[in-house]
Order: sequence, then C-alpha cells, then structure tokens
Amino acid sequence: MIGGVLESLYGLFGEWWIIPRLIEMFVVVSIIIGFISVAAMFLIWWERKISAHIQVRFGPMRVGGWHGWAQSIADGIKLLLKEDIIPARADRPIFILAPMVVFASALAAYVVIPFGPGLIVQDLNIGILYIIAISSLAVLGIIMAGWSSNNKYAALGALRSAAQAVSYEIPLIISLLGPLLIVGSLSMTKIVEAQYVPFILVQPLAFLIYFTCAVAETNRLPFDIPEAESELVAGFHVEYSGMRFAIFFMAEYANMFVVCAIATTVFLGGWKGPLLPPVAWFLIKTFFLLFVMMWLRWTLTRTRVDQLMNVAWKVLLPLAFVNLGITGLVMLLYPVG
Amino acid sequence: MTAEEILQQIQSRFSEEIRTAEVRRGEACLTIKGDRHFEICRFVKEELGYDYLNCLSGVDWPADEEMEVVYAVSSLKRPGKILLRVRVPRKEPFLLSVVPLWRTADWHEREAFDLFGIRFENHPDLRRILLPEDWIGYPLRKDYQDERFIAYPWDDRKPGGVPRPTSA
Amino acid sequence: MTTVNLQLQQIKERAAETMEEMWVNMGPQHPSTHGVLRLLIKLDGEVVRECIPYMGYMHRCHEKIGENRSYVQIIPYTDRLDYLASMYNNWAYCLGCERLMEIQIPERAEYLRIIIGELQRIASHLIWLGTFGLDLGNFTIFMWCFREREMVLDLFEAVSGQRINYSFMRIGGLALDVPEGWLADVKAFLAWLKPRFAEYDRLSTDNVIWQKRIQGVGILKPEDAISYAASGPMLRGSGIQWDLRRDDPYGIYDRFDFDIPIGTSGDVWDRFWVRRREMEESVKIVEQGLRDIPPGPVLAPVAKKLRAPVGDIYSRVESPRGELGHYLIADGSEKPYRYKVRAPTFVNLSALPVMLPGCLVADAVAVLGSIDIVLCEVDR
Repeated sequence: MIGGVLESLYGLFGEWWIIPRLIEMFVVVSIIIGFISVAAMFLIWWERKISAHIQVRFGPMRVGGWHGWAQSIADGIKLLLKEDIIPARADRPIFILAPMVVFASALAAYVVIPFGPGLIVQDLNIGILYIIAISSLAVLGIIMAGWSSNNKYAALGALRSAAQAVSYEIPLIISLLGPLLIVGSLSMTKIVEAQYVPFILVQPLAFLIYFTCAVAETNRLPFDIPEAESELVAGFHVEYSGMRFAIFFMAEYANMFVVCAIATTVFLGGWKGPLLPPVAWFLIKTFFLLFVMMWLRWTLTRTRVDQLMNVAWKVLLPLAFVNLGITGLVMLLYPVG
Repeated sequence: MTAEEILQQIQSRFSEEIRTAEVRRGEACLTIKGDRHFEICRFVKEELGYDYLNCLSGVDWPADEEMEVVYAVSSLKRPGKILLRVRVPRKEPFLLSVVPLWRTADWHEREAFDLFGIRFENHPDLRRILLPEDWIGYPLRKDYQDERFIAYPWDDRKPGGVPRPTSA
Repeated sequence: MTTVNLQLQQIKERAAETMEEMWVNMGPQHPSTHGVLRLLIKLDGEVVRECIPYMGYMHRCHEKIGENRSYVQIIPYTDRLDYLASMYNNWAYCLGCERLMEIQIPERAEYLRIIIGELQRIASHLIWLGTFGLDLGNFTIFMWCFREREMVLDLFEAVSGQRINYSFMRIGGLALDVPEGWLADVKAFLAWLKPRFAEYDRLSTDNVIWQKRIQGVGILKPEDAISYAASGPMLRGSGIQWDLRRDDPYGIYDRFDFDIPIGTSGDVWDRFWVRRREMEESVKIVEQGLRDIPPGPVLAPVAKKLRAPVGDIYSRVESPRGELGHYLIADGSEKPYRYKVRAPTFVNLSALPVMLPGCLVADAVAVLGSIDIVLCEVDR
C-alpha cells in the first residue's frame, strides 16, 4: 500500500522522477546507518556485560544509571571528539580510505537482510550471492589498513587476515549451497518462505560449518589471529585511533550482525515464529546467535595460524563438500514437488 | 663427594694456582690466580662433574688493587658445592670466558662486564646488558662516581677524590 | 671491540637481510612481554628465525643501592625485585643474612615463613596462569585466577598491612606474629581454592585448542636446561627432578611431605603443567604447616645494629620462579661489601634464544609466557 502511495507521488514529479528516488535512497540509507549504529552500540555494551559476567565481574555500571546502558554512547562521543592521528610515514589516502571500505561493505550487506515479510530494502533475486560478494570486500579494507599503516605488526595482521578470509570463504559458501539447493533460489525472501521447518534440522552439518566459518570471517576469538593483541598488539588497526578506530570497531559488530542474520535467514527460518511479530522473531534468533559468538569468544583460546588453515582446508572444506554431495544426491533421488 | 674431597682433588692438580682453600658450611671455597682458571673450571665441570653454574659475580677490591670473579658451582646429581674466587689485577681485568663450559655464563659475564668492566676473552657477544650501550664507567666499582648518585652522609666508605672513569 | 663498533656491525648485518626476512621489534611496549622487555625477532613470514633479547629498561642498580644500605635496610628493596613474590624475596634475603650471621630463628617463625612462602607461591603461579592465558588469548582465566590471588593478597594484607611490597620478614624471623584467627582464614581459603583447580582445568587443560597450542612448542632439552642453569619449573619441565626445597633444604622444608611434579619433553605444555600441579603441592605444604605450627615467639633476639662477621656466602632458595640466590660478602661493617642477586628469571630468560628459532610468532608469545619472567627482577 505504501509502495502504491509512493508511486503516485513520484508521478507528480514527471520527468524529474530522479529527485524523489534520491530522497528515498537517502532516507533508507540513513535508517540502515542508524540501525547499524544503535545495534553496534548495543552489541558492544552487551558484549561487555556478557564478558564481565563470565569473568566474575560487573562490567560498566555507572554511565546512564541502569547497568551502565549509556556506556557505549559515552565511548562513541569520546572517540568522535578525539584527536585524529595519522602516522607521518603512513600512506595517507589509503589510510583514510581503509575504514570506509570496511564499513561500506558491512553497510551494503544490510540491503538484502529480510527483517520481516516485506521488510527488506531490496529483495534481489541474487540476494545471498550479493551478500557474500559484498562482505568479501571487507578484506580489501583490512589489507589497505595494514599496508598503509607502514607498521610491521599491521602488515602481519593484514597478511593473516587475507589468508584467513580466503581460506574460510570457500567452506562458508559451499556450506550455504546445501540449503540453497533445497530452496532453488538465491533470494533471501524465498529462502525464508521455503522453510516449513528450519533448515538447521535438515542441514545441521551445514549450519555448524557455516557458523564456524562465520566466526572466522568476522575475526572473532578463537579465530581472531588478524588482530591477536597478545601477538600483534592489535593487528591491522594498530595505528588507528579516534573515529577511524571506532569505524573499524563498528564495522566488526555490523559484520557480526550480518553473518548471524544470514544464519537466521538460511538456517533458523528467518522471521517465522508463533505469537510474536516477525521482526521480533528475526531479532531474537539473530541476537541468540550473537550471544553464542560472544560466549565462544570469552571461553576459548586463540588458535594458531597453521592450525587455523588446517581446520579450514582439511576439515571444514571436505565436510562441506560431503554435505553438498549428500544433499544433491537426496534431491536427485527424492525430488520435491 | 664431600667438600673436603673436592678440595683435595683440585689441590692435588693445581696446587700452585691456589691462594686459599677452606671448607665452610659444606662448601669448598677456593681463591685462585687468574692464569689457569679456565683449566680449573674445566676440571671442575668435566672431571668432577659439577655442571651447574649457579652464579657468577664480580667483586671489586680496590684495597688489593684486584678484581674478583666468583663462580658458585654445583651439580644436580651430586652433593657438594664449590665457590671459586678468581683474582685478576684491577688495572687489566682480563679473564678467559667460561661460556664454552657453561652457557649460562653468557649473560652473567655480560653483566659483570657491564657493571665491573671485567673483560672476558673469547666471549661470543660481550656487550653491555643492563645499562645503555653508551654508558660511561662501571657502576659497581667502589670508586665509581656519578653526580646523580648521592651517598648517605654516614657512609664510611665514601670514595672521595677518585676521578670518574671516562671511557668504556 | 668497543660496543659502538659492535652495534655498527650488527646494523650492517641487518641491512644485508633478504627480502623474505624482516626484523620485528617486540617490545619494550608490547602487551605480551610482561613488562619492558625488548625482543628483536627475525621473522621469515610467520616463523621466528632468531631472537635477541634486550633488557635493562628498569635497571636501577639494585646491588649498588644494597651496598650503601645496612643489612636491615635492604629488606624493602628486595620486595621490588620480584614484585609478584615479594614474600619469597624477603625470605631469600633474610635467610642469606641469617646464614651469614649464624642466627637461629624461632620454630614458629620457621612455620609461618613456610606457610606464607607457599601461599606466595600459589599467588605467583595463579598470576602466571592468568597472564599465560592472556598470552594464548584466553581472557577469562585471567580474571578467574585474579579472584583467588586477591584472596591471598587479603591474607597478606592482614599480616603485613601491605598488598604487594610486604617487607614482612626480618633477619631473625618475622616482623610480627600473625593476627588472631588468621590461620583459620588460611584454612578457609585453602578449602575454597582446592575445587577451583578443576575450574581452571575446564578452561585451560581440558580445552583442545589450549592443548594444541602449547604441546611440542618451545622445547628446552634437559642438557640445554643444565647448561643454561635453568631453574624452577623451567628445569622441572625439562624432566629433571630438582627442587631446592627437597634437594638443598632450607628452613624446615625437610619436615614436609610433598611431591615434585616434573615434565617429560620440556615443551611449553610441560612447564604449564608443572606449575599447575605445583599449586596443589603448595596447598599440601600449607595444610601440613597449619597442622603442626607451634606457639612461641617469631623473632630471634638480634642486635639492633646487625654486623656480619667477615666472610662470604652464596645462599639459594627455590622461589616460585626458580633458584633465587644471594651472594653476600661481609667486611665486618653494618653494610654488605658486595650484594649480588642471582635472579632466576634473568638466568631462565637467557635460554630464550635457543627455544625460539622455528616457532611461529604466536608460539613465541607462549614460550616467553612459559618462562614466567618478571622484568623488575631481570633488570634489577
């Protein structure tokens, strides 16, 4: 209905139709950025509380009154007001561009996340392919950051990141192919609609592989070797400070949300669920997965580079292929519909 | 092997090198001259089997115009401990390094060089270890003076009048 | 060759390095060097080829300070050596002086020293386990270990009024007797601590990632361990059963019954596991001490102005980090003529360059962590 109203409004502009289109795009992007910022801030606060309670402490308790809920906002303002430091020997244009690339790739992925029926910015028919393609761009930003910082630790972190992203993207995509075979479409909405039962019950192995790879893709413990602070100090963003650092930080949480949203869409039945409205179900499922990611981070030990590669190439990739093969075989023998 | 036996064995081999020798608290304590100290150390390590160098310490004796290096040697397999004091002239504090025998002597000797200025010949990498590379003088020598170093007024061993060493 | 020439030569050598290798400066400001240690590491990709440690950033010529203070005045300075095991440093120094001056200390003081010393060992190993977890990327175990260490600090605060630098031991015994009810508090603490080891194990020992990270890494062969005079858990991790508490007993350790855990292959895992089990042995020792402790004075009658007879002594104890030795020369005055500290971590650290080549960067951090260095003690 809203779409119809908008269309008739656009008609008023005649051949100047581009103006309302641009306004619409601006509004939509603002909403996404607003959502990402709020979600990232909430996630940062939430992670601090979860880690604190795992580690027998309280975490932030002061700012804002109730359990320090405003801590992230205060931190954000502090980072915004901080001096912007660029190392003298850094490659300035690339150094400035790098956080934008990382954040832009995280931002663009939100275009096809189906928060509810119809609640999707653009239901592309290649939705999931688009997400995977776009989120791979983040590695580019990380390598740019590592290279332009002119710092050996940053360079090492960037190299590790490149190796890790290349290794983990492959089993990640192949694990997604199983459910996609069943659906027969790349559209995010269609994938949700096709799930009469959540695909996690049909494809448990694919879910495990996907989730492991997703943790690695977002550089979280136990796979956080690109930024391993006890080895590489902070890895690729060691020279960043102030708002540029904050953008990296926000992009990390935005990416976390994206990978968990994909897992929810593909494996947990998306917005489907009884009683509560669809958006609530989608968010509940996604935030549960985010909680699991945080839980893992504060319990496990960091893996080593060689072990990380071994797991990707010798364990996850063959398993993903086996899963894909079995799915294909079953589809062939018992064609649905 | 008891301390007396250790002492006897060393004395029978290197009698003319030994200045003083005594057994104290179950330890064989010897003071020897610097000329053949490496051979004595090798004898202690390879023939007596005391292969664990606990400590290597420099001492400054300006009254005797001598420097001393003290080796505390023991073994993880047998009882008995040896305290080997080697005296070298203070003007030319040269001594053979014992790194070929005990590799732990590496950093100990660097420290003794750093703080006392004792030169260990054949040492693989004799550099200052605790002080900055451009430090002048050897702080643990008794006559070391530094304008930043304030001795307590009741210090009865105040160096007094000795010029500060100028070069490394 | 002068030092300047040597440096020039090094710079030239470094300039000749190939494109594949690079020198990375780890420290002095680095989260995993446990203080201000600087490691110059030659990296081939991720593999460490060579390592040159530089130290001395916290050098304060402790030994020179000692030569200018009277025997009693040195005690507070010993706290600042190994600030994670200050009680043990006090003890080691006082024991050296007592041996030099031939002072017999009261029975109760001996027991209290052992109880306090072993509690300090537990606290020190706990902090080690926590920071080692940090090195491996496990943050939670750090906080868990600090929880129990905090309790030990509370106990020490009750006896000495201080939390880190206690200066509690005196030549001839202890400064004070423990407050009333303190021994019961220790007992309660041990009862709390014992089930905690299983909790740590769930986070560390039983975790496959943890095991894979540190097994077969940073191997120190037994012959190297002896040649480098490694001591404490480093030596025992290499499979040599040597503990001064048993093999050269000081105090009244010969009356106590405890095991000496040893490793098999000398890798990081062995050093970790030795320390982890040593905590349980320390618990045993404290329990025996609490059982047998007699009443009585805690300070032997000693002169106000202590003078040691002319002579020298090398006195050693088994501190949480290894053999802590004091070489003292007395010239009959109130002050030692020479006061040398044989710091266990200084000696243990010298074995690092043989353990590192061939490791990955991540392993280098683990190996360094497994030595359990305290830079204040290394630099003195």
